[in-house]
Amino acid sequence: MKSQLNKWSALLLTMILLAALLISGCSSKGGGGGDVELKLGFYSSAQSDEKMQELIAKFQEKYPNIKVKTESSPYNQFFQKLDTQIAAESAPDVWLSDGVLVPKYAERGGLMDLTERIQQDLKGDEYYGLEFNKDAAGKYWGVPQGIQIAVLYYNKDMFDEAKVEYPNEDWTWDDLKAAAEQLTKDSNGKYAADPAFDKNKVSQYGLTFFSITEGWMTVLKSYGGGVLNETLDQSVIDSPENRAALEWIVDGMQRELLPTPSDLKSFQSNMAPFPSKAAAMRIGIYARTIDANAAGLNYDVTLLPKGPEGKRFSPVIANSWVINKKVDGAVADAAWEWVKFWATEDEVQKEWASLGEAVPVKKSVANSEQFLSGSPANKQAFLDSFEFAGTLDVNAVWSEWVGKFNDNINRAFEGEIPVEQAMKQADQEVQKVLDEFYKK
Amino acid sequence: MGDKPLTPKSHRRRRLDSDGKWGLLMVTPYIVHFIVFVLGSLLASLYFSFSHYDILNAPQWAGLANYKKLFQEPVFWKAMWNTIYFTILFVPLQTILALILATALNQRLRGLKFFRLAHFVPVISSWTVILYVSDAIFNPRFGLANSFLLKIGLEPQKWLQDERLVIPLLVMIAVWKGIGYIMVIFLAGLQNVPADVYEAAEIDGAGVFRKFMHITVPLISGTTFLVLILSTISTFQAFEQIYVMTGGALDASSAGGPNKSSLVLMIYLYQEGFTFLRMGYASAIAWVLFVILFILTALQVTLQKKWVHYE
Repeated sequence: MKSQLNKWSALLLTMILLAALLISGCSSKGGGGGDVELKLGFYSSAQSDEKMQELIAKFQEKYPNIKVKTESSPYNQFFQKLDTQIAAESAPDVWLSDGVLVPKYAERGGLMDLTERIQQDLKGDEYYGLEFNKDAAGKYWGVPQGIQIAVLYYNKDMFDEAKVEYPNEDWTWDDLKAAAEQLTKDSNGKYAADPAFDKNKVSQYGLTFFSITEGWMTVLKSYGGGVLNETLDQSVIDSPENRAALEWIVDGMQRELLPTPSDLKSFQSNMAPFPSKAAAMRIGIYARTIDANAAGLNYDVTLLPKGPEGKRFSPVIANSWVINKKVDGAVADAAWEWVKFWATEDEVQKEWASLGEAVPVKKSVANSEQFLSGSPANKQAFLDSFEFAGTLDVNAVWSEWVGKFNDNINRAFEGEIPVEQAMKQADQEVQKVLDEFYKK
Repeated sequence: MGDKPLTPKSHRRRRLDSDGKWGLLMVTPYIVHFIVFVLGSLLASLYFSFSHYDILNAPQWAGLANYKKLFQEPVFWKAMWNTIYFTILFVPLQTILALILATALNQRLRGLKFFRLAHFVPVISSWTVILYVSDAIFNPRFGLANSFLLKIGLEPQKWLQDERLVIPLLVMIAVWKGIGYIMVIFLAGLQNVPADVYEAAEIDGAGVFRKFMHITVPLISGTTFLVLILSTISTFQAFEQIYVMTGGALDASSAGGPNKSSLVLMIYLYQEGFTFLRMGYASAIAWVLFVILFILTALQVTLQKKWVHYE
């Protein structure tokens, strides 16, 4: 009986061990012999995935000793997965990061400091946007993969129909609002300037306006305001400049020249009004040309309007390649080869630009005929905007403070609380978020 | 079993032992799964809840800091209230309506199978599909609900964008989606009520209402109890519907709007843990949620002695 018991417990133990073995999986190590395996992660759509695979194939041709293993998924899933992968220490060696998320990982110690490599291998003045990944201490955390920069989009047909002159580079925000009044239309075809206009039945907005990048940040900054200080750890929300800017916005929304945040919810997406011909103008990043072109709009772009003192601001997001801090030696070098390959090779830059998703990082390619031709006609406006471009006060807790700011400011946009109160509350809540991370 | 001859005690015990071992062997995969994937994660999250953990760096012991912060955080209390509000509206409404529906569909009706099926269809639909259907109705600009209100001369509403309406509306939609499932559970309970009890009551002159209140309700109280526990737990864990219907599909940090009026505990937990990388704090929320659910279930189990009758 006793030996039987032993037999049983041995069997039991075997089962447990077997199961444990199965669970722990096959954590195979890459084979030696000079070959390096590089885990490359990126978010993509079906279309961009195909192009990316082509470029990776070219990279492998050039560097036969580097074996690239790709991991790609749609945007949301990619970053969700990335976080769990980082926790499990199985994150990619090099990955494509949304520009606004670079400091989230960098400031928590997840990324490799690329300052030296960039200074050695890349000539700063040949590229757009290297500076956008530089932190307050002067360190670089990523190399741009493609640049998103905002301009003013306008629907020519709507301007023609309303007999309003097209926007020009001298416009101030007040000029824009005056035009918006003539372009906002209700479902009876009455424009906002008409006393018979019914603002509960708007069918066409003058300017569509959403959240930070394609919404308030541009207005705040060109009015001389902003959200965070230079070192990005103090809120500067409660200022007279911001107040003037926010009042400009609230006035526009109360008159329904601009959709309020809740108005936007009745569209398929917050990005939908302009391509679906429900707005005459938008503040839009470069990627928005895809939808506008697909919708067959007769549109063009120009510089964003100036503030009351003539100041301009164009928000920029530099989606970037970043390298995992955990990698070193040959893998780190391979990862850097990929980043360099992407930024320096004209062919890669041109191929990627042909997708129309982003402004090329390499200036020579961005300023080429190939990039500047096609729709919209005035693509030069994107390049000209670099002169007054700035990031979105991006730091380690960016998504969180943007959320707090929106929570409060949106209530003012909906007309529920006065601007002053919204600013005070936003100021306190944003500061709390900053303190929790930076004051330790 | 009962009519088998009694075996000698020792023999019987040995056979049981052998059966027991087989049983143990058969459940081993489950036990291993439980230890590694459930118990392991549970203990890890308990440890995280007492530490600062941002996923990228190893957790640092923080004592009660997360719990202290939790109880002082107004957003946590707002999420708590929203969750309770959702539960208070949802659980009784769904239970009562499902019971009435099940009673109706327990009669001999024409097209019975069709009606049962029709009420079950929303259960198997995904929340994303339901988002589109409900958007066709409650979209402030193009929705049916507002065109109806306008037709009868009432003010159009913002529905899911209205702080006061968002939770009642979400509850309504959740009841519509969930009622078929609960109805099936009740139907199973109803079919166990012996017909002769009703016959006896009819002979004594009981009407439809009295039969329902004095026979049906007490005799299926066991089922009702199960339903109450299941739906309370599910509302405290409600996530998908609110995430999908209040903006999470577009941007995780904006889910639970407008103005956090539909921010429930699970959404709050998700944002804190996965969007803002405060995994320690998020684990503390999870454990507070566990304690609440444990107390609620224990309370229901104690109270059931007063009203649940098992045959």
